[in-house]
Amino acid sequence: MSRRGLAFLLLSVVCTLVAVGAVVAAAQRARDDERESERAAAVARPTVERLLSDGQPFVLFRNLDRTDGSTYGRLAIAPLAHGEPGARLLAGERCDRIDLAAGRGLCLGTAGPTGFKAKVLDSGLRETGSVRLAGVPSRTRVSPDGRYGAVTSFVTGHSYADVGQFSTAATIIDLERGKKVGDLENDFTITHDGKEVTARDRNFWGVTFSRDGDTFYATMATGDTTYLIKVSLSRRTGETIHENVECPALSPDETRIGYKKAVGHDPPVWRFHVLDLATGKETPLAEPEPLDDQIEWLDDDHVLYRSGEATWVMPADGSGAPQRWLAGADSPAVVRG
Amino acid sequence: MYRIESSGALVRAHRALTQRRVRPRVSRTVLLLGLCSLLTDISSEMVATVLPLYLVTTLGFTPFMYGIVDGLYQGAAAFVRLAGGYVGDRRRKHKGVAALGYGLSAVCKLALAAVGSAFGAITAIVMVDRAGKGLRTAPRDAMISLSSRPEDLGTNFGVHRALDTTGALLGPLVAFGLLALAPLAFDMLFIVSFCFAVAGVGVLVLLVREPAREPVAAPEPVRLRAAFGLLSGRRFRALFVAATALGLATTSDAFVYLTLQQELELDPTLFPLLFTGTALTFMLLAAPVGRLADRVGRGRVMLAGYALLLGVYVVLLGPSTGVAGMLVALFMLGAYYAATDGVIMAFGAGHIPEHLQGSGLALLGTAVSTSRLLASVLFGALWTLFSVQAALAVFAGGLVLAMIVAAFALKGSRE
Repeated sequence: MSRRGLAFLLLSVVCTLVAVGAVVAAAQRARDDERESERAAAVARPTVERLLSDGQPFVLFRNLDRTDGSTYGRLAIAPLAHGEPGARLLAGERCDRIDLAAGRGLCLGTAGPTGFKAKVLDSGLRETGSVRLAGVPSRTRVSPDGRYGAVTSFVTGHSYADVGQFSTAATIIDLERGKKVGDLENDFTITHDGKEVTARDRNFWGVTFSRDGDTFYATMATGDTTYLIKVSLSRRTGETIHENVECPALSPDETRIGYKKAVGHDPPVWRFHVLDLATGKETPLAEPEPLDDQIEWLDDDHVLYRSGEATWVMPADGSGAPQRWLAGADSPAVVRG
Repeated sequence: MYRIESSGALVRAHRALTQRRVRPRVSRTVLLLGLCSLLTDISSEMVATVLPLYLVTTLGFTPFMYGIVDGLYQGAAAFVRLAGGYVGDRRRKHKGVAALGYGLSAVCKLALAAVGSAFGAITAIVMVDRAGKGLRTAPRDAMISLSSRPEDLGTNFGVHRALDTTGALLGPLVAFGLLALAPLAFDMLFIVSFCFAVAGVGVLVLLVREPAREPVAAPEPVRLRAAFGLLSGRRFRALFVAATALGLATTSDAFVYLTLQQELELDPTLFPLLFTGTALTFMLLAAPVGRLADRVGRGRVMLAGYALLLGVYVVLLGPSTGVAGMLVALFMLGAYYAATDGVIMAFGAGHIPEHLQGSGLALLGTAVSTSRLLASVLFGALWTLFSVQAALAVFAGGLVLAMIVAAFALKGSRE
């Protein structure tokens, strides 16, 4: 064999060894972490159940604490006292996004090697059913009465598609029956200035529910414009009510919408704002960084959002300054007891 | 007139198919370059498949920004491609330039594992990765061309494209398999991707030989003017015009899939199967169709390929014919790729002098990709402003016109 052939053989062997080594080590670590986290979750379980059932406020979130690999990316819970989170406890399996209200929850995660699903959770965070998702899940919200849930996922298809071309799918799920109600794109009629929006490039994302059991808000995009839409679940119709609103979040008193507003384009630069639904007044919030998240209201006066790998808090009236609220955490779901 | 139905052509085609001619020769270099592309494509498709997942679930970003950055980047990619072809010609080192391109992309995989969660860094890495892809394409095609017998160019390009597509099909499978073994272990995935890429570079650097060329009497350095001077050559210009015209009437696959999906109300979870079906057809047909092109004429096969694309438009325009219609459309789309992607390059390679292969193929490749990009933007605009039917009808009409232009331009081209 030529020297070059020999060199290639050697290179192949080294590449194979490194690749196999990396895979074996990662698989081993994944298995150990799984076992370790199951053990930790079992130990924490009685306390978690007490937190879930004693009627006191708490926050559920995705744990991003990297100091312990076995708990990274998993569902965690912390009690809330005067708006401040207490010590965290491991509360379940992996969830990329989480929300919970009135004893029903949604946990978005992977399903097998190629799929994604939304798991429906009961008041004890046990899985009662699941709905398959079209793509990488990005946002989720549960209606205040626990009846419905919404999931936004990115339909990226496959790398054969032109990179960068993708669409979003916003799906409404009936949590009582554990079944899909429909997609905003296919099963709802949205009007803008009295005319039905039929543009093929329309996309929907970031649903937020009202406590009336019927109304929800979401973002609709067509062309370069995004709109806040107000939709009736029972009538399957909705209309645009404001422009340049992404990822809306309805305040607990339902008078305002916290959202991200695009203040720059190509690439988009977002700033968190609050919209007064009665007057249409927009208030920029204190966070100076362009961030990408769906706001969660801590109470009527404060909002939570992700920055880096932590959850931050700031006043909802544009005053004050952002403060780190909970390190190593995102996708917070505040349950007010 | 360049007509497929002319009886003379048919008789020639029939004779070519029935006569036992010499078996086509696939050169060792082409097989090795195919293996190199296969490994590299596994590596890059692995990453491309999981990148949106990585951005969204681990880093908390949406792929929106990624998409826009990508759009802006296309122009730069075209420039890098031209530069890669030209430098390969000028320094007479196609292998070196290609190796640099493959090497850059390999290093990017390792960099992804190293940078963690900084979005800016990830965007930069994706860009460098694409630059590597742009850089290597033309010198690689020049090497395929220079190591093939002129009468086997179609076969050789076809074999290379078949291997290349195999890698693209395997990449996502490898990625999903690895994530099933170790969920969210993206670092591991990037390392494995790096290993595939290094093996690919290894094939190129250690096993592929720079194709030997006829010694030029007075080795005159290749000048930029000479490279662009290709466009004043009648044959090459004709192909350049034909490829550009046809490219301008070509919609991107993504739109075809989207239309099919909406027509059939296909479950979005099945969406990836549309890509897979097309790629599988492309993979299986690339080599045999390349050989056919060598026998019956590359221009003819290329135009037949665009006739298949027209068929796709017609299926999409017509009333929904259900799953059968979808399968026919996907098959035609895959066959269209098989009849055009490598065949255009083979056609071009036959009309470019040896010392300008890199620049010439880069010019041709850039014409095809740039016109397709413009076409995609146009298609999207027509779809948004009017309807998908309107967009398809305009493109079908445009394609017929482009085919007529191409047929006239290529009239008299014989290889």
